[in-house]
Amino acid sequence: MFENKNTGLLLVLPAAVFASVLFLLPVGILLSEAFTGSEGGFSLGAYVEFFSSELNNTVFWRSLRLGLWVMLTSAVIGYAAAFSIVQLSPKSRGRVFALIILPLMISPVARTYAWLVILGRTGLVNQVIVGLGLSEEGLQLLFTETAVFIGLLQLFLPLMIIALISSMENMPRDVVPAARVLGANWFSVFFRVILPLTREGLVVGGTLVFAGSMTAYITPAILGGSKVLMLETLLYQRVTVANDYAAASVIAMILVVMSIVTNLLLKRLAKPRNRRA
Amino acid sequence: MKPSSTATGTIIGLTLVFLIGPFIVIILAALTAGNNLAFPPDGLSLKWFIKVFTVESFRISFLISMFLAVFGTLTALIVGVPAAYAIARYDIPGAGAIQLAVSSPLIVPGIIVGLALLRYLVIPTGFTIMAALFLAHAALILPYAVRVVTSSLQNLRVDVEEAALILGCSRLGSFFRVVFPNIRGGILAAFILGFVTSFNQVPVSLFLSGPGVRTLPIDMLAYMETTYDPSVAALACLLAIMSVGIVFLAERFLGFSRYV
Amino acid sequence: MSDFVSVDKLTLAYGDAVAVPELSFGIGKGELIALLGPSGCGKTTTMRAIAGLMTPKSGTIRIDGRDVTRLAPSLREVGLVFQSYALFPHLTVFENVAFGLKMRKAPNIRERVMAGLDSVGLRDFANRLTPDLSGGQQQRVSLARSLVVEPKVLLLDEPLSNLDARLRLEMQMVLKDIQKTTGVTMIFVTHDQSEALALADRIVLMKDGRIVQSGLAEEMYSAPRSRFAADFFGFENILPGRDGGLLAWRPTAIRLGDGPHEGTIRGMSFGGDYRTYVIDSTLGEIKGSVRAGLPAFGEGEKVRFDLPEGEAVRLEAA
Repeated sequence: MFENKNTGLLLVLPAAVFASVLFLLPVGILLSEAFTGSEGGFSLGAYVEFFSSELNNTVFWRSLRLGLWVMLTSAVIGYAAAFSIVQLSPKSRGRVFALIILPLMISPVARTYAWLVILGRTGLVNQVIVGLGLSEEGLQLLFTETAVFIGLLQLFLPLMIIALISSMENMPRDVVPAARVLGANWFSVFFRVILPLTREGLVVGGTLVFAGSMTAYITPAILGGSKVLMLETLLYQRVTVANDYAAASVIAMILVVMSIVTNLLLKRLAKPRNRRA
Repeated sequence: MKPSSTATGTIIGLTLVFLIGPFIVIILAALTAGNNLAFPPDGLSLKWFIKVFTVESFRISFLISMFLAVFGTLTALIVGVPAAYAIARYDIPGAGAIQLAVSSPLIVPGIIVGLALLRYLVIPTGFTIMAALFLAHAALILPYAVRVVTSSLQNLRVDVEEAALILGCSRLGSFFRVVFPNIRGGILAAFILGFVTSFNQVPVSLFLSGPGVRTLPIDMLAYMETTYDPSVAALACLLAIMSVGIVFLAERFLGFSRYV
Repeated sequence: MSDFVSVDKLTLAYGDAVAVPELSFGIGKGELIALLGPSGCGKTTTMRAIAGLMTPKSGTIRIDGRDVTRLAPSLREVGLVFQSYALFPHLTVFENVAFGLKMRKAPNIRERVMAGLDSVGLRDFANRLTPDLSGGQQQRVSLARSLVVEPKVLLLDEPLSNLDARLRLEMQMVLKDIQKTTGVTMIFVTHDQSEALALADRIVLMKDGRIVQSGLAEEMYSAPRSRFAADFFGFENILPGRDGGLLAWRPTAIRLGDGPHEGTIRGMSFGGDYRTYVIDSTLGEIKGSVRAGLPAFGEGEKVRFDLPEGEAVRLEAA
């Protein structure tokens, strides 16, 4: 630590100002717009109006619902995958881990686009369905909530797996074999040993997945289109199609509140984790 | 008393198929010789990969994205390295508020920032979209740059700098002669992370696009709406290969994951 | 004062917490002195202030007649061997030692660096990277790095505490040798009285930012003046005398087996030449040593002992 506080302040100030002026200030103005009535002054009119629209309500609850579903599903798959991965030898564990985080480095547009090929009218899944004679001409899979759900799950599952692996690696060694030796079946091993010991990782992963899904743009844009709007695609549509800035500002507020709550939760929970190589 | 390795193997296999499988599908679909996006591909050829390079809007938006990623990250580092140094080495008054301001780009959803900048900066002041995009990308990368460089600074003992001061260095001299050579790896890692983040970024750039000014991912989204051919698949493959290649090289020569 | 280094009414603080209030002492040219005290006594803080790594609240520091109180560390002509050695991890041994000379744009850098490495016996390590060296070797590089620039004052932070017994002795010799050949004034900081006694000409004993006592090493060892100093230098038995003052005995000054007092042996530790017994008695806990060759006492055994007043040191204050 060096003493001169002013030097420190001088060094950090440009960054703080840069970020605030570009991110906080404009967003602050945007958010305040929703509280301004048509004749100026404070008003909650924009919020009342927003939630009186059936479409907006549908989108709001759909985003919440999809966020929860993606979070729950990724938790279930995540536990199975993370538990299996930590059983591996260190060498193959590293390799599998690299494959799990690989998708995170790839453009989400590229990642989501692949599902068009798989879920399209003549896509892979429909070929199988038609081939098995389950349907004449294939099913409408794209532009459904299911498609968005699958896309989001693939996008965010790695975050859950990483969070769970890191908290499983922090479990005391051999607690699982110890519980087995004491006569616990796998069901009670999970609920009585693994789950309580990895709760922190579950909450960290769950929060990231939930918030990520609820505020996603690319996946609902590509796989949901205008049929399955979510909060961000609705915002985009309200602005570009209807010039409806009041609605945009309300959605913005929902997103910002979500994001702040998430960050507070994470800050409270994410103690310094040991980063793995 | 371990779970059976067949069971764990199957679980890992299925998870990887779900996570990685789509990339294999898209690579094969992009290699089709036919004119439609289909799987399995209709014969194999590289024609869609070649076509990508002939689409003018892709060429322009690729250059724009490249420019934003490189210069946005450099700007973020120029502003962010001193900030990281201050955070790691000084007891700054109001540190909490300052850290919050610096990390605000991680907290505020990008789509809102793009919209707000369009509405309150570009439209009223005649600021160009390109300039707004540049500033927004630089600010977006800033928290990553600060985080990675700070942690790299925290691994360098303070007394090494003090030793340099006593041996006759000025404060600035000790930064360039002693600190910088020892955090070069961290700065490079921050650059790579910033580059990949900026290049793949969509939400911030969504509203910040105008005639002839679009980032590559936004351009791909726009192209998809009008055209359903394998060229976007080919482009997606190229981008995936680029990202994976960069990260692979970074990991190989830098131990990238140490820093992230 | 004609002191080579003089510290006058120096007040040092971290924020509002004063670590050292109005400290004054002086050091003669070529002297080797120890700042001794428990952790938190302000000895390291004082050393950092002399090096210029900490700005005093008030007071002055003079080196060779020049007021350096607010001078940048680079201009003070001091050397500092850090406890962690603080070598530059990206530079070789040679480059580390050459660093200060390069900063000064000195001539004949190569010869001077090699001579410096010679003096600490590391000539053959010139091209090695520093993280590959052992702790002892790193310390010698650090020493050479500080010495080649020919500082007026060499500061050392706990120079012996990270070394094992054999290396400790070796480093003691190296430092004494440097004192003799270069005549540099040395100040070192330590919490270990045996280190201070072994190395220093003079000891400054500190507590809570103040000097408790200072003087020649032998004087400090044989005639502590306060309870704190006595305790620090191994006078483990401190009892009120008949006149109400305090008397202090080392364990070796206690006579066991005979005497006016009686106690019960509670424990024993074997220290090579001596066995030291812990005795419960009406006077409180007494520690007494007996030559290892003499017959031993058993635990729980009753023993008579004497506190010979002639062997006691009279303390001034409580």
